[in-house]
Amino acid sequence: MTHQTKPGLHPAGLAYAAEHKAGTLDRREFLTRTTALGLTASAAYGLIGMASPAQAEGHAQSGGTLRMQMETKALKDPRTYDWSELANFSRGWLEYLVEYNRDGSLRGMLLESWEANENATVFTLKVRPGVTWNNGDAFTADDVARNITGWCDGNVEGNSMATRMVSLIDSDTKTARDGAIVVVDDMTVQLNLTAPDITVMIGMADYPAAIVHADFDGGDPSENPVGTGPYLPTQNDVGIKQVLQRNADHTWWGTEVYGGPYLDTIEYIDYGTDPAAYISGAESGEIDATYQTVGDFVDIFDGLGWNKSEAVTAATLCVRFNQLQEPYDNVAVRRALQKAVDNSIILELGYNGLGTTAENHHVCPIHPEYAELPPQIVDPVAAKAELDEAGHGDTEFELISVDDAWVAASSDAVAAQLRDAGMNITRTVLPGSTFWNDWTKYPFSATEWNMRPLGVQVLALAYRSGEAWNETAFSNAEFDAKLAEAMAILDADKRSEVMADVEKIMQDEGVMIQPFWRSIFRHMAPNVRGTDMHPTFEHHHYKWWVEA
Amino acid sequence: MLLFLARKTLGMLVTALCLTLIVFFLTNLSPNLEKLAKSELGARITDDEVASWLDKNGYAQPTLVRYGEWLGVLPGWTRDNDGEFTGRCIDGKADAETAASASRFCGVVQGDWGESSVFKRDVGEVVSRALKLTGKLMLCVMLVMVPGALIVGVLAGMREGSRLDRSLSTLSILTTATPEYVSGVVLVAIFASSAVGLKWLNGSATSAMDNITIANFTLPVLTIALYGMGYIARMTRASMTEVMTAQYIRTARLKGVSFYNVVMKHALRNALIAPFTVIMLQFPWLLNGVVIVETLFNYKGFGWTLVQAASNNDIELLLAVSVVSVFVVLISQLISDIGYVFLNPRIRIT
Amino acid sequence: MEPLTWTGTIGTFVNPIFSITAIAFGLAVVAQIVLSFFAPAVTLQANADGTLQQRGGAFGLAEKAVKLLLIANVALILVYLVGGILLPYGDAGIIGAISKRFLPVWIALILTFGVSITFKRRLGLYGKLFDSTVGMIGFALVMFWVFTAVLAGLFDLIATYDPLSQISGLKNKVPGFPVTDERKLGAVPHYLLGGDNLARDVFSRMVYGSTVVISIAPLATLVAFMVGITLGLPAGYFSGRLDTLLTFLSNLILAFPVILLFYLLVTPEIIQTGIPSYMAMILFIFPVVFFVVLLNARFYTQPSKRNPILIGVLAVLGYFYLSTISQPGTVVHFLPAWLDLFDIPGGILVVFVSVVFVNSPTVFRIVRGLTLDLRTRDYVAAAQTRGERPWYIMLWEILPNARGPLIVDFCLRIGYTTILLGTLGFFGLGLPPESPDWGSTINAGRRLLSTYIHPPLAPAGALLTLVLGLNLLADGLREESLKD
Repeated sequence: MTHQTKPGLHPAGLAYAAEHKAGTLDRREFLTRTTALGLTASAAYGLIGMASPAQAEGHAQSGGTLRMQMETKALKDPRTYDWSELANFSRGWLEYLVEYNRDGSLRGMLLESWEANENATVFTLKVRPGVTWNNGDAFTADDVARNITGWCDGNVEGNSMATRMVSLIDSDTKTARDGAIVVVDDMTVQLNLTAPDITVMIGMADYPAAIVHADFDGGDPSENPVGTGPYLPTQNDVGIKQVLQRNADHTWWGTEVYGGPYLDTIEYIDYGTDPAAYISGAESGEIDATYQTVGDFVDIFDGLGWNKSEAVTAATLCVRFNQLQEPYDNVAVRRALQKAVDNSIILELGYNGLGTTAENHHVCPIHPEYAELPPQIVDPVAAKAELDEAGHGDTEFELISVDDAWVAASSDAVAAQLRDAGMNITRTVLPGSTFWNDWTKYPFSATEWNMRPLGVQVLALAYRSGEAWNETAFSNAEFDAKLAEAMAILDADKRSEVMADVEKIMQDEGVMIQPFWRSIFRHMAPNVRGTDMHPTFEHHHYKWWVEA
Repeated sequence: MLLFLARKTLGMLVTALCLTLIVFFLTNLSPNLEKLAKSELGARITDDEVASWLDKNGYAQPTLVRYGEWLGVLPGWTRDNDGEFTGRCIDGKADAETAASASRFCGVVQGDWGESSVFKRDVGEVVSRALKLTGKLMLCVMLVMVPGALIVGVLAGMREGSRLDRSLSTLSILTTATPEYVSGVVLVAIFASSAVGLKWLNGSATSAMDNITIANFTLPVLTIALYGMGYIARMTRASMTEVMTAQYIRTARLKGVSFYNVVMKHALRNALIAPFTVIMLQFPWLLNGVVIVETLFNYKGFGWTLVQAASNNDIELLLAVSVVSVFVVLISQLISDIGYVFLNPRIRIT
Repeated sequence: MEPLTWTGTIGTFVNPIFSITAIAFGLAVVAQIVLSFFAPAVTLQANADGTLQQRGGAFGLAEKAVKLLLIANVALILVYLVGGILLPYGDAGIIGAISKRFLPVWIALILTFGVSITFKRRLGLYGKLFDSTVGMIGFALVMFWVFTAVLAGLFDLIATYDPLSQISGLKNKVPGFPVTDERKLGAVPHYLLGGDNLARDVFSRMVYGSTVVISIAPLATLVAFMVGITLGLPAGYFSGRLDTLLTFLSNLILAFPVILLFYLLVTPEIIQTGIPSYMAMILFIFPVVFFVVLLNARFYTQPSKRNPILIGVLAVLGYFYLSTISQPGTVVHFLPAWLDLFDIPGGILVVFVSVVFVNSPTVFRIVRGLTLDLRTRDYVAAAQTRGERPWYIMLWEILPNARGPLIVDFCLRIGYTTILLGTLGFFGLGLPPESPDWGSTINAGRRLLSTYIHPPLAPAGALLTLVLGLNLLADGLREESLKD
């Protein structure tokens, strides 16, 4: 492997290393932050005196087909992707600038390396030399700049990349600020940010950040699959099957950098949303791996003799209140409902105990800025008394959820707890096609949240006043101020002091019942290798192989 | 006879028209259109964006006008966005020249069934793919169900009240009392589950879409066949017992014809008239079972397509699906009427 | 607390005997069926002493064996059940404990049968049912669930736990698992049929499920019959344009695949538009119309009697009607809360309306066909000559004479509706998700069936026995009504 290393020791990198050694910064976060500033993973490991974990690809076998269960959805413009599944299919030919790895580190893909200045306001991106598009064009800095400019266009309906590139965007025109993206030479792009922001690079690893060719017309990228990746889509039947075939006419840059790809064919087969069907498919020998195994099904797949891959994540379920709607505009009601629910029982019944309990403030212990607060009190009797006092003792609450197996089960468990406390609650389950249309508007509902590497990311995305995804309608000036303060602090230890206040506000305001952080799992047949579960569900096809 | 056929065909067309109008109306109610817009653009769009999307894509016209367009009796909508033309009959965006040359009408009458919003394919293509798969399933079901039901019915009916009759009758009542979603689940548990079952067969029929084997197709076929079988068997039994008490059978018996010959040569033909109509009328009912079984066994035929179209409010696909199912129902009724006449010389169509 | 075994101490000595007799019974039945193919036809043989010889030989032997073994088996099953009632809790195992919980149902069943058989000659068609074994078995199965539903729904008797409460630690636990949480102890200290995926008591859910099923299926079928009869009688009696129109409409609805119809009617979007509420307004008016016309036709000639009766009936039914269709949170909501007699919980009304809507056209077709046939009868002609009005003839001459086939179809249709409700549950349409109704519980349980068998089996068994009972009952009624 000839991985280009350019240590470029960023001063903050050393500081993080000190923090990590002092035990205030965990390894995952250390890797995320240092690599985001431009260190390579091995250099980062070096800073804390560890060897980079050995890659196990030495004896990988080439050839063969891997069949994975996955919902196969219709593709659209990558920046508007709203499901990881869309990206996982197009990853076959559309690649990313950087890649987020299981250990929390970032590594360069189409970028060879990048550097941040001292206060993380200027990022210099170095394009990987020798990369070509599968139509023969060379991959240059112009391609990078064009894609980033495209991500910054907030006028495109449904473009979620714009929210990740805020520091590059002119808020008036909702497009890239003049001078924010500069092509220095053929191989270099410079990004000038308005404020220090290390999440820019992490955002580029997110699934909507697929790099498309200049000819791409904004429609279905599989229709004219020009990309840099090693595979080509040969079948795209929505709801049935999607197939990626090794592109024999294209030399992939990664073979000599990272090794792979090994498989000839990757088939994604759709089994709908019912995990029972995945079991049937596995028992029938129709699939070699699952996309995700949830809750009670983990044990069943274990029983089949399949290998399990676990990723500990900050993915979670929020049973949240919309504070604009009766009776949840009353903080006493929210607090009372919160107090009646024992999160550990929800974890046991709803997700088969496969995770850790959460503390109703949406900051996970694996987040670097997590601050431990005193445990929450669960007291159904007192909760009912408080509810009576608030004048809502007889109010009928309605808890809405999507009809997904574990989400529905967890919501049922929450409802049962409330009922046991003597409250009046009904449940409504909506099919996915209906639920997601109004998910931010329901008065009281359960929403699944995937993991974000930093705690402040998700708080900014979902609880800051007026955000598009603010489903709780939480609007608290003090919270916003404290969060802004936290986001400007680079030192995780100091940030965590501010975060303690932020978390406290979340709890005191009774924003939501957040029962647990769930681990996510994938199961694969014994001969399948390299398909480890990724914390944000990414598929790195080039690492996959099957034992003959 | 010809007049009869013509009248039936006309009735069929009128029914199909009324039905599609109802489906069209229900799928085009404003909450359903909003759902469609959101599933196309993503859940986060504002109400204004929904309205503008609907307007841009021709959904803002009166429902009846759009029904006419779908049918192909009214010209398809076109829209001029500063020289870029979009329209019902125009593929994507086009310039003025292409737009002018595009056909004015494009509806069912012209053979254009529109595009499925879920599958991003031509509706005709989606439906024919689904029908082919379901056709295979139904063929196998019929091959198992009809002979099985007839044999059970005849055996039970030839000696009314015997232990064999009792056992078979109870069995057929039991199978009609077991809905597909129970029998399918139980069969999977027994024959396919690796934890508690025998693991002889597959609990998923996904691979049967490409390649049918005994392992992957037995359970779905059996699940549908069992439920339908009981009913046909009971009808056959009833018809058989009636025939067996008829005068001419008694005469044959008294003449000394052996029991076997009486059953095979004299009773059988007459006993099978009633079940024939029942079998034909079973078709619409089986469609129900097909939906459940295809969902349960993840077999992507017509029933599964129906569920996908209905739950995603895929308007044009849903319309095509309803048209197909209406024709299946009505044609099977027609065949049953005609067949009845051929089998029973006492009835004549006037 | 020890977990319960299936049969407890009784089992230690009864189990071996029972397994032997059960196997023997199975063998004997098979032997008899096989032998019946070769057996000579039944011929009666007079013996010298004047008695008639029964069938002899191997076949006769098998027949005798089947009878004896059947009796032995039933007796042994009774030992399990009665043992459970007599012995202290736990000694007779799970089966005994369940039998004890069902004690009120057993008493009610025995009383019903006792009274009915005693007075069967005076009870018309209902009494004749007790001449048919098949009918009696069917009736017993149906009444078992009816009594269970009523006793559990109204008096909270049979069930042991709340159908919705969850007890930590009992998720997916096997039948007979003890409840350790002292605060949540129910009527018995065990989950008799185990815990489901959310640690709820499977037995109690099955019992309360019967209440849901028994309160929706027969009622919906009844309303569908009212609609079908009210429209089918005039269609068949008058024929003409009305008939053509109604037949066309009913064929139109019947041409829809049922699932598609439900998807079109039960989705949240359609509920939002209020279409089901409007349909409820139309469909529920039919029972009111039916009864008013029925009574009006009867007492038309006696205005002094008719007026008070009609006013009374109209007031009661009308009030019920208005309370039913007026639901808070839907487009049709006009009665203030204090005037609104009852609110049907969310989702149930929609399901109810859809089920009625799907069933009505079939009933209409049957009624119309029967009327077409019956209107040519002499007694109709006689009534016409007497100068009776059409509605009197339809409702008081034709309808009573069509009751046989209608009652039979009614029984079958309840079973069909029960299955349909389950189908809706299967597709996640209709009833609220936590509802203990059998269709939803089967669907919830089937997902984990490959490792935890017990949660879906209990409701599946319940559904099966009820539908089987209704089918047998219909068969019995058909047989007996044909003997008229």
